[in-house]
Amino acid sequence: MSPDILYSTLATPILEESTDLDERLATPWKVIVLNDPVNLMNYVVMVFRKVFGYNDTKATKHMMEVHELGKSVLWVGEREQAENYAYQLQRWRLQTILEKDD
Amino acid sequence: MRTNYNAGACKQFWKKMIEFSLQVECHIIQAILPEMGKLFALSAKVEEFADLFPDLDDPELKESWNDGLKEEAKGDRNALARLLKSPRLPYGRVEVEEDDVDDLLRGLTEIRFTIRKTSLKSVADEELESGMPSLTSSKPEVRIGYFSYLLMAEIQERLIEEIV
Repeated sequence: MSPDILYSTLATPILEESTDLDERLATPWKVIVLNDPVNLMNYVVMVFRKVFGYNDTKATKHMMEVHELGKSVLWVGEREQAENYAYQLQRWRLQTILEKDD
Repeated sequence: MRTNYNAGACKQFWKKMIEFSLQVECHIIQAILPEMGKLFALSAKVEEFADLFPDLDDPELKESWNDGLKEEAKGDRNALARLLKSPRLPYGRVEVEEDDVDDLLRGLTEIRFTIRKTSLKSVADEELESGMPSLTSSKPEVRIGYFSYLLMAEIQERLIEEIV
């Protein structure tokens, strides 16, 4: 197989795939914590402080949003980091989802 | 044989403990603990992570995600098992190694979720969140479940106060 043939058969799909991947990675993702009836308020505040490094005021504000509105957007940014945060929050048993920030 | 008592040799055996007494009558704790043992055995079966996965369309990621959470939860259950087996817990005394606190906090949360899904499944979320479920007409397992749920919360609250 000549190099030209190789290039003509493979170049297009690779380019499309990488464009899709770039777009997916470039789209910001939201890390959202949902309310639950089990976790204690001071537990949730502690987890937000530990996972995001938030101070007490900011962590309490997000906890109150979760409690009163049913959910709070804790962080927005690239997907890999969003997954990392979601995993840590779920490790602490907080109900967490990811959504595209459209 | 000589024992080396210098600071370096002893350091590895010295672990900081967090200790406190619960504001709960001992006879209540002693009545609850056998039930806690049963709930603990149940928690590994009840607590599935599947419903926790973020809504992403990637089965391979979902599998490794859930496997990772399950594996790490073992440490949490071990910390909770150590607490429940502690000889001083029936007398209201909690003693936890500082290194175990995070695991124990998560283990306590897990068993509270288990109690919620089993003994307290007939109790509404609003009643549970308000802390005032009507227990007078409830079955004994609901009442014991609720007191277990509160006891675990009390331990969690006190632990958080100690470390924050």
